[in-house]
Amino acid sequence: MAFELHLDTETVEHVRPAPALIVSPDAELLEVMSLMRRDRMGCVLVCRDGVLEGLFTERDALGLMAVTADWEVSISRVMTRNPVTVLVSDTVGAAIQKMSQGGYRRLPVVDNHRRAVGLLKVSTILDYLVQHFPAFVYNLPPNPHHAMQSREGA
Amino acid sequence: MICPYCTFSNIEGADYCDRCGQGLSDLHLPSPLTKVERSLLKDRVEVLDPKKPITVPPDMPVSQVLQLLVENGIGCVIVTDAGRTVGIFSERDALIKLNTACGDLADQPVSQFMTANPQVLNSGAKIVFAVRAMSQGSYRHVPVVDETNQLTGIVSARDILRYLTARMQ
Repeated sequence: MAFELHLDTETVEHVRPAPALIVSPDAELLEVMSLMRRDRMGCVLVCRDGVLEGLFTERDALGLMAVTADWEVSISRVMTRNPVTVLVSDTVGAAIQKMSQGGYRRLPVVDNHRRAVGLLKVSTILDYLVQHFPAFVYNLPPNPHHAMQSREGA
Repeated sequence: MICPYCTFSNIEGADYCDRCGQGLSDLHLPSPLTKVERSLLKDRVEVLDPKKPITVPPDMPVSQVLQLLVENGIGCVIVTDAGRTVGIFSERDALIKLNTACGDLADQPVSQFMTANPQVLNSGAKIVFAVRAMSQGSYRHVPVVDETNQLTGIVSARDILRYLTARMQ
């Protein structure tokens, strides 16, 4: 049973980026908010003809909720333009660094023509780590002081 | 050879752990190959230096909680009642439960929208447990408690990423 954590060689494609919720720049904020709730998605990609133009996250939504904003505007007015992205061919390690440095919880995954392919989420990275750890790790005593002083039955 | 039960470092090839007496000979021990793998196996949640969470009483109006989240640039608050952790309210709760109705619900208490009885971690738990708790429950935040169940901090998925990045170099 060996570890198989290849952060330097496996690419973003290997960790299976989640399908993203995609809306057009003309979509109304009110409609986008209800889509996010329906699909329980913390983020939408704003794309025109498949090409990524912006990003709107639950953090953006929170800021608007706190000031009870006008919901009847187009999403392009409140989205973040030209968000940081990762390529499908980037390594998992590189993606983790990008996320950590920028404090992002998710990064849009794009191809070489900046067409949106999916979404790389923090949770996807965590799932990847969990899957690559042998099950016995979780059977270890949770506390260092749980160590047995003598062998059982000896 | 690191004992998987008590993490004591034994000499290579030892049959029993020198500290806890557990047999080592019949274990097919995985060999952590990289620094990241070794750290994840060995380090405990306290290494992440859990941040002090912001706590609110259950009857605080939800609009005030939203302000707190925005002003402090944080993703969640812990709801405590007389020192006891009773719930957690996150951005996700805001999106799912308030959404565009937040104006009408502004005066409702946060206890109506919080996630009650969240999973907590002991500060001595290994980091893999934090990772697994987040992965299985799809949480981004896990409160950390001490032996007497008192809230001492909170770890986020971002803390884990930061930790990983520091060890990948």
